[in-house]
Amino acid sequence: MELQPIFIQVLALVIFAIGIIVAISRRNLFFVLMGIELALNAVNLSFIGFSKTFPADASLVGQIVPLFTIAIAAAEACVGFAMVILIFRNRESVDADSYSNMRG
Amino acid sequence: MLALIYFIILAVIAVGAAVCVLLSRHPLYGALSLIVSMVSLAGIYGLVGSPFLGVVQIMVYAGAIMMLVTFVIMVLNGARDSRTPMFDKVSLFIIPAVLVLAALVGVALVRAPLAFDAATVRGSVAVTSETLFNVAQGGPGYFILFEVLGLLLLSAMVAAVLLAKKRLGSVDSENVEEKH
Repeated sequence: MELQPIFIQVLALVIFAIGIIVAISRRNLFFVLMGIELALNAVNLSFIGFSKTFPADASLVGQIVPLFTIAIAAAEACVGFAMVILIFRNRESVDADSYSNMRG
Repeated sequence: MLALIYFIILAVIAVGAAVCVLLSRHPLYGALSLIVSMVSLAGIYGLVGSPFLGVVQIMVYAGAIMMLVTFVIMVLNGARDSRTPMFDKVSLFIIPAVLVLAALVGVALVRAPLAFDAATVRGSVAVTSETLFNVAQGGPGYFILFEVLGLLLLSAMVAAVLLAKKRLGSVDSENVEEKH
C-alpha cells in the first residue's frame, strides 16, 4: 500500500480539529493563540497535500501560497502576543473571560 | 511503502504533540509540544516533495514564531496565574460540535477522488524562488504579493511595538529608567 493523498488530508483535518478545540475551549490566553497556530499549520499541510494532485505548473501554486500563510501567521502572532502583554500587565490574569472588557 | 511508514510515524508524532497541547497545564509545555508538532509536519512536507517549505516551516514557524511565544510566556511568567481553570462547562458542547463537524468534512473528503499526479514539480529552492521572483510581463506575479507581505510585516511590527511598550512618562517607565 502506497501513500495516498487522502491520508494527508485526514491528518490535516485531525490537526485542524484539535487546533480549533484548543483555541475555543481552553481558558488560558496562551493556549488560545497556540491553537490558532496549530490550525494554520493544518491548513498549510492541506495546501501541500492538494498541490501534489495537480500536474506541473499548477502544483507550484499550492507550494507557494503556504509561504504567504506562514508570513501572515508570523504577523498575527506578533500582534496577538503584543495585545496579551498589554492586557496581562493591567489584569494579572491569563483567563480569557477577564479580557471581555477592552477599554484599556 | 517506505514513504507510508515514514508518514505514519511523523503523523503519530504530530497528532500526539497536538493532543499534548490540548491537555498540558503549563503554557511552556504546550509551546514545546507545539514545536514538536511543527517539526514533524516539516518532515511530512519534505516527504511529499516540498523540501523548501519544510525548511521554511522549521526556520520561521518552529524557530521564529515559537521563539516569540516561549519568550512572551517566560517574560510574563505565564504560570503565575494558577487560578485559571483549564476548561469550563462550555467546552463540553464545543468538543462534540467540532468532532461532528470534522467527521462530516472527513466523509466528504473520503468520497472525493484524489490521486497523486506523476507530473508534479518537486518544490526545490531553485524552482520555488524562480516562480516567486518571476518579474516577467506574463509571469504569475507573486513578487507583488511578496512586497505587500513586507509592508504587512512592517506594520505588524510597528503595531506590536506601540502596543507592548510602556507609556512614556508613566510611573513604570520612569522607574525603569532610574534603575539603569
